[in-house]
Amino acid sequence: MTSLTERYVAATLRTVPAPRREEIAAELRGSIADMIDDRTAAGEDATAAEREVLTELGDPTQLAARYADRRLQLIGPTYYLAWWRLLKLLLSFVPALVGVIVGLVDATDGSAPAGAIGTGVGAAIQTAVQIGFWVTLVFALLERTNTKLDLPAWTVDQLPHDRPDRQITLTDAAASIGFLVLVIAYVPLQHFRSFVPARDGDGNLPILDPALWSFWLPFLMVVLVATLGLELAKYRVGRWTLPLVVTNAVLDLAFAIPVIFLVHNDRLLNPELVARFDWLSQPDNLDTVATVTVVGTVVITLWNIADSIVKLRRAAA
Amino acid sequence: MASDEILRIHLQELRRGTVVVASLVALRHPDYGYALLQRLTEHGFPVDANTLYPLLRRLEEQGLLTSEWNTEESRPRKFYRTSAEGESTLTRLLDDLAAVQTSMTALIQGVKR
Repeated sequence: MTSLTERYVAATLRTVPAPRREEIAAELRGSIADMIDDRTAAGEDATAAEREVLTELGDPTQLAARYADRRLQLIGPTYYLAWWRLLKLLLSFVPALVGVIVGLVDATDGSAPAGAIGTGVGAAIQTAVQIGFWVTLVFALLERTNTKLDLPAWTVDQLPHDRPDRQITLTDAAASIGFLVLVIAYVPLQHFRSFVPARDGDGNLPILDPALWSFWLPFLMVVLVATLGLELAKYRVGRWTLPLVVTNAVLDLAFAIPVIFLVHNDRLLNPELVARFDWLSQPDNLDTVATVTVVGTVVITLWNIADSIVKLRRAAA
Repeated sequence: MASDEILRIHLQELRRGTVVVASLVALRHPDYGYALLQRLTEHGFPVDANTLYPLLRRLEEQGLLTSEWNTEESRPRKFYRTSAEGESTLTRLLDDLAAVQTSMTALIQGVKR
């Protein structure tokens, strides 16, 4: 018995259940010898014949899996959909939730906003990786052990009620609403905790001019809350309609025009904050910031309105 | 004509179950792994060694084949034979194969081209 065949048999047996090992080994050795004999009888060189036969039998791990009737897949069709749905469900909100909570806790501990955001994002990514790993591990084990999952069978009642051509997906709506909630929360938050210390080292400099609290900041917050309502309405309808497009345009303008007006008249930023930074307090630089902000606001607003009109026409088509 | 790859996959699907039927028929006459492989190939049932050897063991575990070691020749060989249970299973399988052929013929004749 040559060493190549012995190595092949040993490699095959390594993952075959113990009680059957000896018999499979004897039979496999015999079969390999038969196959080699057949080739040498036809005039082939013994060494070449052996290599050829073992190559034909293929990867010993795969052969062993066939002997043991083991499946060569991490998660097979029985569990795949359950795995995929659970993974999507958990990933859709858990990492974001953990990230926001960790970030907020970090922010209230007094670290800088950039640091708190970084911590939050890091926690969200870690959570996503952990979810992916553990869910997959559990399902891979179920697959290995052939555990019966008594999941309810699919019925027609599970068909989504939505139109299949829904324009506004849950993901889009959730992202928009989440962003709006953060912006709305930030307006009062920046007044009390901007993370910019005053000149004397303590205290806190609001970023937006506190004088605006008499009217403009509450007004902008009301517009944002109304926009949040619009997002909900849009999701319920599932697609752009003319009333939604008009409301969207009105709300966009109700937000953009005051912002442009305030920026243009240097009334948006807190004068003390501007004075705090040498670069910002120079009129030229402040003008540049104002111009960039105005142009940015105009572009985003027009884009948003144009986008809604394009989607309205597409929905009507 | 579909690509060779597509054709290959469909032929493989079509042939998959026939190896079991062919083995049960062939092993009415006892034989060992490699000899069976050669016989099947000669009769138009080409099968890979790494498919056939594990399949024989599985059929044995299912009780459709019995086995016996023959130590009289130069090297010991494990001979398989279709069991009584294997024979009754085979009857059902052959009936079904014939039914598939009949249905297919009827379908071919019934479908206007």
